[in-house]
Amino acid sequence: MITPLLEIEDLYAGVAGKEIIKGFNLTINEGEVHAIMGPNGAGKSTLSNVLCGKQGYQVTSGAVRFKGKDLLKMSIEERAREGLFLSMQAPVEIAGVSITPFLKHAVNAVRAHQGKPELDTMEFIKQLREEGRKLNLDADMLKRSVNVGFSGGEMKRLETLQMRMLQPVMAILDEADSGLDIDAMRLVAQGVNSCRSEKNSMLIITHYQRLLNYIVPDFVHIYANGRIVKTGNKDLAEELERSGYAAFVKESK
Amino acid sequence: MSRLLQEAALAGEDVAWLKEYRGRGRERFAAQGIPSAKTEAWKYTKPNMFLQNDLVYQQVVDEVRNRPELPFETYKISFVNGIFAPQLSNLPPKIEILPMIEAAMFYPEAQALIGKLTDTTKHPFAALNDAYFNEGCYIRLEANTALDKPIALMYHTTQEARGGMMHLHNLIVLESGAKAELIEQHSYEGEVKLNYFANIVNEIRLETKAQLQHYKYQNEAFKAVHIALNVVNVKSGGIYKSFCLQKGADLARNETQVVLSEPEAEAQVNAAYMMNGWATLDTTTDIEHTCEKTFSSQLVKGVVGGQAKGVFQGKIHIAPLAAKTQGYQQHRALLLSDEAEVDVKPELEIFADDVKCSHGAACGQLDAEQLFYMRSRGIGEEEAKAMLIDAYLDEVIAKVDNEKVSEWIKSLLKM
Ligand SMILES: Nc1ncnc2c1ncn2[C@@H]1O[C@H](COP(=O)(O)OP(=O)(O)OP(=O)(O)O)[C@@H](O)[C@H]1O
Ligand SMILES: [Mg+2]
Repeated sequence: MITPLLEIEDLYAGVAGKEIIKGFNLTINEGEVHAIMGPNGAGKSTLSNVLCGKQGYQVTSGAVRFKGKDLLKMSIEERAREGLFLSMQAPVEIAGVSITPFLKHAVNAVRAHQGKPELDTMEFIKQLREEGRKLNLDADMLKRSVNVGFSGGEMKRLETLQMRMLQPVMAILDEADSGLDIDAMRLVAQGVNSCRSEKNSMLIITHYQRLLNYIVPDFVHIYANGRIVKTGNKDLAEELERSGYAAFVKESK
Repeated sequence: MSRLLQEAALAGEDVAWLKEYRGRGRERFAAQGIPSAKTEAWKYTKPNMFLQNDLVYQQVVDEVRNRPELPFETYKISFVNGIFAPQLSNLPPKIEILPMIEAAMFYPEAQALIGKLTDTTKHPFAALNDAYFNEGCYIRLEANTALDKPIALMYHTTQEARGGMMHLHNLIVLESGAKAELIEQHSYEGEVKLNYFANIVNEIRLETKAQLQHYKYQNEAFKAVHIALNVVNVKSGGIYKSFCLQKGADLARNETQVVLSEPEAEAQVNAAYMMNGWATLDTTTDIEHTCEKTFSSQLVKGVVGGQAKGVFQGKIHIAPLAAKTQGYQQHRALLLSDEAEVDVKPELEIFADDVKCSHGAACGQLDAEQLFYMRSRGIGEEEAKAMLIDAYLDEVIAKVDNEKVSEWIKSLLKM
């Protein structure tokens, strides 16, 4: 049976008084992986931020349902606790807040929402180290402040680690591959793939087809001028790689 | 005559110098009155707006039902409603600790020092404190002695002291090479709206190479007024290091005046304050380098929400002969709401050459990007804010050397 997980209907939204998303429609069903590709400044990160409830973004019309519920009515943390996760394009540094207690709070907040008991500290640390090891983030790094002094690639691996720990049902990866060397890309892709399941879905925002060789999407969408202008399968990404956006962007105007 | 000057039955009125000492306090307070916006040193804090008309000097003995205790072992000197409570105290062996009035009446060494560091013509509340000179304690460590545990001065106020005022005067002397840790806690029990006025003077003398770590936690009731003056004299090679966390009271000032009077004398005066509501919390410092090769540093950080107001007045004075001196000062504040306010007045008076001196002040807000990031991981807004506030204050709490004390302070940071 096909169950929709995230349904975006005729969404219009913007930031700082500027309309960026203009009539966006997309339904992601349970277990599906969708990729969105689009030119710089098209509004891909804006869409991610709107979906996660970031302040400063205005939704002018349209609807978004997540697990059948009105997503736009939920607070930022509620969305996360319901299982929405965003791997950010540009994660922020938080000096003085170390990764380990930060993630412990996050994991336990999500667990509490799901009616699960708090994780015991030792158990949590064991899991965190284990997942960290898979992403080549050692115990010393996990003692550091969140993202402080992290290289671009390290930040992306830390985003992936958080995704592994939080086990979201719907993960949005906003350029999870930017700044990654080839080995790191493989680690991140492995991390992401291990979150895939029949129930869990993903929205992968990327500029490069390479990531999609590792995380094979069910659908590829081209996003331009505030909405999806073309949808296809993974071959569309390859076509785009060869031809660029020009043809699609012009078509949509 | 000010309404705060009342008839009081105080011990030792038959001792001539004491009577005179109190009389001088009355006169000097009467001459200055309760400071207001017109008084330069108090212009941001305006005590006249907070001190109620009907405060009464009273000595109410009461039982303690619910006093927060320290999570580590200390010696204890307890005051309940401003009165020494021997049954709640645990005095260290072998060192001189006496109720102030006893020291004043029977200990010529103490007598000779009482009030000598404080200029009561410039400190109206210290003058008022003298007028009621009675309570407090005298602590003296002999040369080269050290204690195995900190001494905690536990001030606790109960419901019975509602509408009252208390004036305490402590004299702390560390002879050459002596070392001690002093902890002050100001707490209350009963309704949070309990109103009272606590007025405290600490005179601290550090002789050659003596070292004092002075930690203070001010958590008075929300309608209380707390005025504290720490006057410190540091001799050659001595170190005075303080950390004060202020959280309570309607109006509170913690003022620290240090004179670095001999070479290599050092002072580190650090503080944190955090409040919501309508409180005014004031940190005032005055570090006087009167001698060459002296060192001072200050770091004060505040977190202000609601319609509360933080005040920082920090003065560094370097006298003409005080060459090769270093004096540093930093104040930073985090404003959590639009109506929160911080008033900052740094004053550097440098009359010597060849000195290193700096000061800085900055005000900021919680970072919206950081908050979004944390919440997007499922952490609730309030918890995320609390984590960011902890992270903000971490820098100043890191100045606390005693790990048990810093852990304790970290546990107190709930707003
Ligand atoms: N806070 C803001 N104020 C003004 N304009 C903004 C703001 N945030 C985004 N924009 C603008 O909105 C547009 C869409 O930006 P967005 O970051 O969503 O693009 P993107 O598709 O993610 O691009 P990229 O591929 O470069 O990451 C851009 O023109 C950008 O400058
Ligand atoms: Mg982007």
